[in-house]
Amino acid sequence: MASPGLSSPPASRSTLRRVPSAASNAGVLPADVLFDVLLRLPAKELCRLRTVCRAWHSLTVDPLFTGAHAARNPLFVVNFRDDRTHICVVDLSGNVLKRIPNADGHQLLCTRLDLACVATVSNSCRMIDPTTGNVLALPEIPAAEHLNLENLREPYTCFAFGRTATTGEYKVIRIFCRPTLTGFHEPHLFEVLTVNSGSSSSSSQGHVFAINSGSSSGPSQARWRARWNSDDLYEPGSAIVVGQVVYFKVDTVFDAMICGGVNPGIPLDCIHSFDLEREEWRGILHGPISGIFQTGEYDDDLDDYRGLWCDTTLADLRGSLGLVHYRKFRHIMDLWVLRDFDSGLWVKENIIQIEPTFPTTELRVKSLFMLDDGRIVIHFPKTGLLFIYDPITNTSAQAEMRHLDAVAMYTRNLLNLQVGDMV
Amino acid sequence: MASAGSGDEKAAAAAMITLISSDNEKFEVTEATATLSQTIRHMIEDGCTDGGVPLPNVTSKILARVIEYCKKHATAAAGEEGSSSSFSDAAFLEVDRAFLEELEEFDDAFLEVDRATLFDLILAANYLDIKGLLNLTCQKVADSVKGKTPEQIREMYNIVNDLTPEEEAEIRRETQWAFE
Repeated sequence: MASPGLSSPPASRSTLRRVPSAASNAGVLPADVLFDVLLRLPAKELCRLRTVCRAWHSLTVDPLFTGAHAARNPLFVVNFRDDRTHICVVDLSGNVLKRIPNADGHQLLCTRLDLACVATVSNSCRMIDPTTGNVLALPEIPAAEHLNLENLREPYTCFAFGRTATTGEYKVIRIFCRPTLTGFHEPHLFEVLTVNSGSSSSSSQGHVFAINSGSSSGPSQARWRARWNSDDLYEPGSAIVVGQVVYFKVDTVFDAMICGGVNPGIPLDCIHSFDLEREEWRGILHGPISGIFQTGEYDDDLDDYRGLWCDTTLADLRGSLGLVHYRKFRHIMDLWVLRDFDSGLWVKENIIQIEPTFPTTELRVKSLFMLDDGRIVIHFPKTGLLFIYDPITNTSAQAEMRHLDAVAMYTRNLLNLQVGDMV
Repeated sequence: MASAGSGDEKAAAAAMITLISSDNEKFEVTEATATLSQTIRHMIEDGCTDGGVPLPNVTSKILARVIEYCKKHATAAAGEEGSSSSFSDAAFLEVDRAFLEELEEFDDAFLEVDRATLFDLILAANYLDIKGLLNLTCQKVADSVKGKTPEQIREMYNIVNDLTPEEEAEIRRETQWAFE
């Protein structure tokens, strides 16, 4: 028999998903099969194979295809443990699509955006466009009101990075922590910086974020603005941005009080939040867990409660705030989702078995993401391993990936890149 | 080949479905086997499987292979369910592992077909909406493409390069990052 070939997909894209007309067609691979096959190749490979022929090119630039590919092949920006001087764009199969230089000591912030942000505790923060590799170093000088107030002898900064919904502006918050010798600290200094994208922002396709590093106009002129710091004690390092809101866990001092046998007077799963668009603090959100303690579900002893601060992690679950409760000694992790902020309505979305899949040395989750298809990506702090939980089969599997220090989701569709986006 | 597995004790009790290939051959299979296909599952739910399910897009040769796949995977799924309640955790894991290994071996052997058959299997899996089979077969083709140059792929699949040198250069320029 003659070696079968691939047929040309039909010129009309609307027929891409048509029902095959004849199943036995002497080995000709029709367009919808090509669709299903190419969907399984990494983005980089696909771009390389666009020169195979016209049909392959038109299929792989088709929005129907690029959308399906992005949903199936989510991308991440990561810090590999064995390569601290780079950040990398990877897919869940462990393919490294891009390596970008990153000064040692800069930790990737846990975001879900088309840009990445890295920062140190010593007031250095950079925005990175993972596609172009462009880097923008944010100004280190404090807001005018905070000059001489920050703790310069022991610089200790935390950053969070998000995007406002209506204007599409990127905003970074910076918190100067001011520890004192007594163990308590003076109120943090809280600042906001707006970074304009410099392009017609939210056009869905081919949106270019051009950071002109070192240029004298635009973002480098941006100034940090002082904002009122919350009176409530929150933990700056626990920040996670969901939508346009930055969420924080309560200050670790409350955890220390519980450990010392002192009633902290505040539930440990309370959450503080700051609206990036309006640049103001919101009311205290009560977590889902403390209220149901001493009910049947959490048993009568307080073992679950004592470790609550350490056992919980905030997460972005496809635009909703998630609270992960890693109940190591119950062998499960609960995944709570905030359904309504104003009424404080939480729903327990998933209960995930910890054993036998997850490493026994892990006592909590470092970061967690929900993919478009509902699968959940779990990153552990000690081992640096990544796991993928599938709610349909209720099973977890380890991703084939080197050990990771930090993970962020990267929402850019690499198949839609324009020439101007290239390095 | 055309009848249900007689070794399966459950088969007698289970509801049987008749599948009819494009060349009019009849295959009798258990409902558990048939419902690996979402297309057939929906037909059963809609109650329109009396008198057999005609599959005008699938030949008897391909349908026989598809049924072979579904039988194996339906048995494995049933076995897993059954074992989880009757074994201790450790034993369950052991059985689980054995099942998975056996399935993997089966899948590997199943894919040992010529390219024409492989493409037909993809089409059938697509039409019958059998996720596992579609994934298995498509991945096989995808793996054959991985790491190859465009020229090698054209050779493998007899594809004529209908792009002009200018167009090819333009595409290469647009996707420069992929060649780094």
